[in-house]
Amino acid sequence: MIEGIEKLVRSVTSDYVVMRMSTIWQQLIRNSSIMFGAIVLGFVVFIAISAPFLDTMDPSAIDLAWRNNKPGVRHFKILPDGTTREWTYRMGTDTLGRDTYSRVIYGAQVSLAVGSLVAMLSLTIGLIIGLVAGYVLWLDAIVLRIMDGLMAVPGILLAITMVSLANASLLTLILAIAIPEIPRVVRLVRSIVLSIRDEPYVEAAVSVGTRLPMILIRHLLPNIVAPLIVMGTYIFASAILVEAILSFLGVGISPETPTWGNIMAEGRLMFRIYPHNILFPGIFLAITLLAVNMLGDGLRDILDPRIRKRL
Amino acid sequence: MTDEIKTQPILEIKNLTVDLPNGSDRLHAIEEISIYIGPCEIVCLVGESGSGKSVTAFSVMGLLPKDQLTPSAGTIDLMGENILQVSNKRLRELRGSRMSMIFQEPMTALNPTMTCGDQIDEVLTTHTSMNHAMRREKVINILGQMQLTDLSSIADSYPHQLSGGQRQRIMIAMALVLDPVLLIADEPTTALDVTTQEQILKLIKEIQHNHETAVLFITHDFGVVAEIADRVVVMQAGRVIEQGPAKVILKQPNAPYTKMLIGSVPNFVPHCRSLAKNTPIVLATKNLCKTYGGRGFFQKSREIRAVHRVNLEIRRGATLGIVGESGSGKSTVARCIARLIDPTAGHIYLENYDIAQVSQSSLHSLRSRVQIIFQDPYRSLNPRRTVGASIIEGLINYGMSKQEAYKRACLLMPLVRIDPNALNRYPHQFSGGQRQRICIARALAMEPQLIIADEAVSALDVSVQSQVLELFNDIRCRLNLAILFITHDLRVAAQVCDTIAVMHHGEVVEYGEATRVFDNPQHEYTRSLFAAAPGRGFDFANISISTG
Repeated sequence: MIEGIEKLVRSVTSDYVVMRMSTIWQQLIRNSSIMFGAIVLGFVVFIAISAPFLDTMDPSAIDLAWRNNKPGVRHFKILPDGTTREWTYRMGTDTLGRDTYSRVIYGAQVSLAVGSLVAMLSLTIGLIIGLVAGYVLWLDAIVLRIMDGLMAVPGILLAITMVSLANASLLTLILAIAIPEIPRVVRLVRSIVLSIRDEPYVEAAVSVGTRLPMILIRHLLPNIVAPLIVMGTYIFASAILVEAILSFLGVGISPETPTWGNIMAEGRLMFRIYPHNILFPGIFLAITLLAVNMLGDGLRDILDPRIRKRL
Repeated sequence: MTDEIKTQPILEIKNLTVDLPNGSDRLHAIEEISIYIGPCEIVCLVGESGSGKSVTAFSVMGLLPKDQLTPSAGTIDLMGENILQVSNKRLRELRGSRMSMIFQEPMTALNPTMTCGDQIDEVLTTHTSMNHAMRREKVINILGQMQLTDLSSIADSYPHQLSGGQRQRIMIAMALVLDPVLLIADEPTTALDVTTQEQILKLIKEIQHNHETAVLFITHDFGVVAEIADRVVVMQAGRVIEQGPAKVILKQPNAPYTKMLIGSVPNFVPHCRSLAKNTPIVLATKNLCKTYGGRGFFQKSREIRAVHRVNLEIRRGATLGIVGESGSGKSTVARCIARLIDPTAGHIYLENYDIAQVSQSSLHSLRSRVQIIFQDPYRSLNPRRTVGASIIEGLINYGMSKQEAYKRACLLMPLVRIDPNALNRYPHQFSGGQRQRICIARALAMEPQLIIADEAVSALDVSVQSQVLELFNDIRCRLNLAILFITHDLRVAAQVCDTIAVMHHGEVVEYGEATRVFDNPQHEYTRSLFAAAPGRGFDFANISISTG
């Protein structure tokens, strides 16, 4: 009898882990929007990381003789080591004669870094504040008033102030974009916590002696992950755009550093005659955002067992 | 009644089949059902959840969700007109004027942004060409027939300003204002308290008689059936199992399924169990009070006494029932005892140790001794965790290893009659009754001294209900537990409780042994509660069923 039970226990506990991991993995592979999103995003990340090896040149090298070239123009170029080689401007050049192709490829680095770091930072901070505010009632009023105050300040204005007070570094930029996003995350998390904290299963967990941190992590957090992922993709997208706006206003990263936003902001001046400076970074931006959003949607479907059942 | 149909039936459903979408657990929502309703007749459609009662009602009204449920065969004749064939325009004309429907939850069936009078008025504007004054007169007139008082102020109030019973009366007024020949009532009293339910049932019966309306009454409650039905149609899994005059079906059911259903209805006779008087007291409350409200920042102080001076006592191995209508404070008592909320004043002695005011940290060691089981089995298990993980959560909280905890969970599963292999499945893979068993297993895993069942069987079908009640009885005997059983259903209380406390407006109005309370209720409120219970005087067929 006892032996039989022990056998059963072993099978149940091991099955438990194995089944979950393998089914989730299978679901990930089977879901076409996740596959598409992951492949495209992986491709963009690959481009960003291996930018120097993709036949690029120095993205901030100015060549005034070859300004405003259309895509596909070839010419002989003297490289820094003194040799000469034929160079194709795959995506043309901008008003200062910089190679747009190289700038777009290198720009992926900054744009992805800004997008992902801002998303992670604002989600993490917002999640913690929101969880605590939603569950600990007396803190709720205080936290919410602070968040209301923060929301009253226009995000761009706050970012401009922060960047002008500190140096215009990548870190300041990320902080400046992330902080205005936090109240939105806090409100989302808090509203979900408020709707779930009175569910009987949370009360049941309280009555079997689960302590507050575990209740937050075990019972409330899983319900928040799905909407947070969707929110994260939205923040990721808007962070890249806000970075572009700030760069355009001259308070972002300095203009010689290529970011998709910077390239588009500069290309705007000559958009009617030379649309390629907006077209190419725009295509990259659109495809990246599409991939992120599809990944987010797919993950949301899979992380929710109720939706998964319907699929 | 069945053998001679004097006049043409009002509604005749013939061989109706409604298909379910592909991939459902069965092919048809309802299959080849045939029902007829004669003039001035109340036909009760009885069955457990998922039996296709509501689908039948919705197909008659033409309200089936398109693309999902499609009638594939049969006819529905309403006074000679096939509802399945008529155009949408004609169907709209028929709804309200020839047939109308009342729903279970009047709060959601009424539009919260319109006054009740306007909502009835809307029916008149759509279907008649009466002028404003005539419509108003008609609205007031129909409200008067609903035995409401202060008619014009009720017509001008919004649904949230009225009580549940009043709202249901408004719904009935709305349904009957154009004198339809057929009224479909889909569980119209399920969401109401017993005393209100009694009034509404009486009202429906009276109005039906005065207006000579045929009624298709859908319910799961055999007490209600006994109270109101002329004829009964029993449904199971989309098929009509049995139909006939109410008296015949309730007294001499033929089909085994009907027998099982009627046998599962708990009777009113409280069970007698000799209790050893000297078993130790597990839990006692002394002057327990809970007050809500207090001062807000800018509001006037407003206090609501949810529970006032409640004194209770539960001995080991005994079951105390708290009976009362909604808002009587019975759940608040339970939640105070489980310390899910903090009592305002008074004492709660758990084995002579006062837990009413102890701090959260010292409460932690006491939590395992009192376990609570909630009403809604669909919401009391975390949908994202396996049932195994839910059951062992408490054990792990108190330092047991995962292996050890799983072992205990496996040992517990046979006790609640669930296969231990089911531990790694998710809650949505279980039925309501099974989930409630899992919740019981979760409570038992903590080896508590007291189990609080807060309306734990109210959301279950009768047959499942009787099994779960039996399970409660079984574990109480085997493990010598004390149970605090909270219910609004007097039949259920009679079946499981040794002592009963009747609560009304936050106070215990009657408290004593179950046999004494049932045989000789002292307090006026208790008497009215008993009198209101549907099917009280009716003698159901005495069928003993074997469960498990």
